[in-house]
Amino acid sequence: MKARTILGVIGMMFVLVQSGIAGGSGDIQKYFNDTACKVKATAEPSQKREILNSSLQIMSKTLDKVQGSLLISKEDRASINRFKAALQEKQDELTGSNGYERVSDTQLNAFSDYVVQDMEQASKTITVTVLTAILIAVIAILLIAR
Amino acid sequence: MQSPHNRSFTSATQAYSMPFWGIGCVALVLFLFSCSSIRPSHRETPLVEESAIPPRYSIVCIIHGDGGYLYHDLHGNEYRADEEALGRVTTVAAQNPQAEVFIFHERRRRHALLFFPLRDGKFYYYRNGQLLAEEDYWRDKGESRSDPEVDLYNRFRAEERPGLVRLFLYFGHEIPEFGGAGYDASYKNQTFTVDDLAGGLERITRDSTKFDLIVLSTCFNGTPYTIAALAPYARYIIASPGNLHLSYFDLNPFERLDVRLRDGDVSAFANKFARQAFDRLISDVQTEVTVAVYDVGRVQGFLHSIDSVYDHTLTTLKGETPASLEHCDCAEDPAYVLPGMSDGVDLFYRPPLFGRSKHKQSHSGWECWRHLK
Repeated sequence: MKARTILGVIGMMFVLVQSGIAGGSGDIQKYFNDTACKVKATAEPSQKREILNSSLQIMSKTLDKVQGSLLISKEDRASINRFKAALQEKQDELTGSNGYERVSDTQLNAFSDYVVQDMEQASKTITVTVLTAILIAVIAILLIAR
Repeated sequence: MQSPHNRSFTSATQAYSMPFWGIGCVALVLFLFSCSSIRPSHRETPLVEESAIPPRYSIVCIIHGDGGYLYHDLHGNEYRADEEALGRVTTVAAQNPQAEVFIFHERRRRHALLFFPLRDGKFYYYRNGQLLAEEDYWRDKGESRSDPEVDLYNRFRAEERPGLVRLFLYFGHEIPEFGGAGYDASYKNQTFTVDDLAGGLERITRDSTKFDLIVLSTCFNGTPYTIAALAPYARYIIASPGNLHLSYFDLNPFERLDVRLRDGDVSAFANKFARQAFDRLISDVQTEVTVAVYDVGRVQGFLHSIDSVYDHTLTTLKGETPASLEHCDCAEDPAYVLPGMSDGVDLFYRPPLFGRSKHKQSHSGWECWRHLK
């Protein structure tokens, strides 16, 4: 498992550098798209909720760790802050806290689509440098592999 | 006479020099190709054969692909928004026997052998449903950003006939109203703003003829500033004041303009297009959907009444960090809530199905700026 994780990390870093990620948000979108696919593949609402919650938490923790790095630029730090705030809003809505109405069991599939689509708008998306994107991908993989 | 040492050294160097010469030749050819100022133009058929039928419709389409354009459908399949838009636009071009269509695909810069830059723009020219030219071009040649595309447009455009219906489509991320650095991932130090787009449109329209319809398939460009900047070059503008999913607007209505726009009623066509785009988006996306049709003549009154307010806002915002700003409905700022705010704006709106705005039941059709709370 450890060897596979390390290989996955190395492979991801190679792909990220080679593809010269513009924006860096592509892999984060793929991460949440995977989450949405897993949510829809499960029939049990409690499992759907757990998958979503876990996925949002892992990404939040990843961003916390990346923000703590001295290698991150001021612009990337600001972008990450906004993104973290958006993730927190989604977690709050999922659980029904902070003034949000809890997402009902019947809406969990749609909510998982919403999480993905909210990142796929034709606006000036959250942009991070290649370095930051690599750090996010690496840390996310390591956190998932634990 | 060569000594044994020299002979073995010579034969050893010969053994290594051949592959190096081969690699060097390949590299040199690639280098010369990438630097070549000769534009390799590929024409499918000679233009002169097609000029007998002057087009009734002219469509100019810019598809921005130099950025993050990945999205997924509801089944989790991955797409690139610019590639999908290109496919749809080429279908439109092939399905219009009475149109000329200019397609500019602005792609990310790539390199051969990691060092030699390759042309990063792709141009397609269709006339009467036939692909007549396909050409790679350099996006960064010329004094202004639009130079390469205006140049190609002028080289290929047909002679104008009276009553030509002119349409302009743009697909990409939100076009900035200020700043604009980094819009192109490959040219991070260059800027692209609404003013640059307006400058390009001015050069294409030249003699004060306007586009009958401009469609901006971007987020957040249904703003007083953007509409005012493009107003000199358009009779009608379709834009999204809010977010727009990367699956963009449905282009089906642009197929067979000779049927769908036969009566020349661009206003009705624009509304029908906006409605169809809206209906498709609300069936697929959970996020906010806003599609607005601006009758340029009728919105001028409102634009004049608030332009100093909006200009002052922009001037203030130019010194701020983007992360401290957000878009908002202009109706949330009393300075913009004036008589005539909705005149000339036909809006199709549905709030997001989740999030803080899910209970927002209406939208003014105009998007503004504010500081993040």
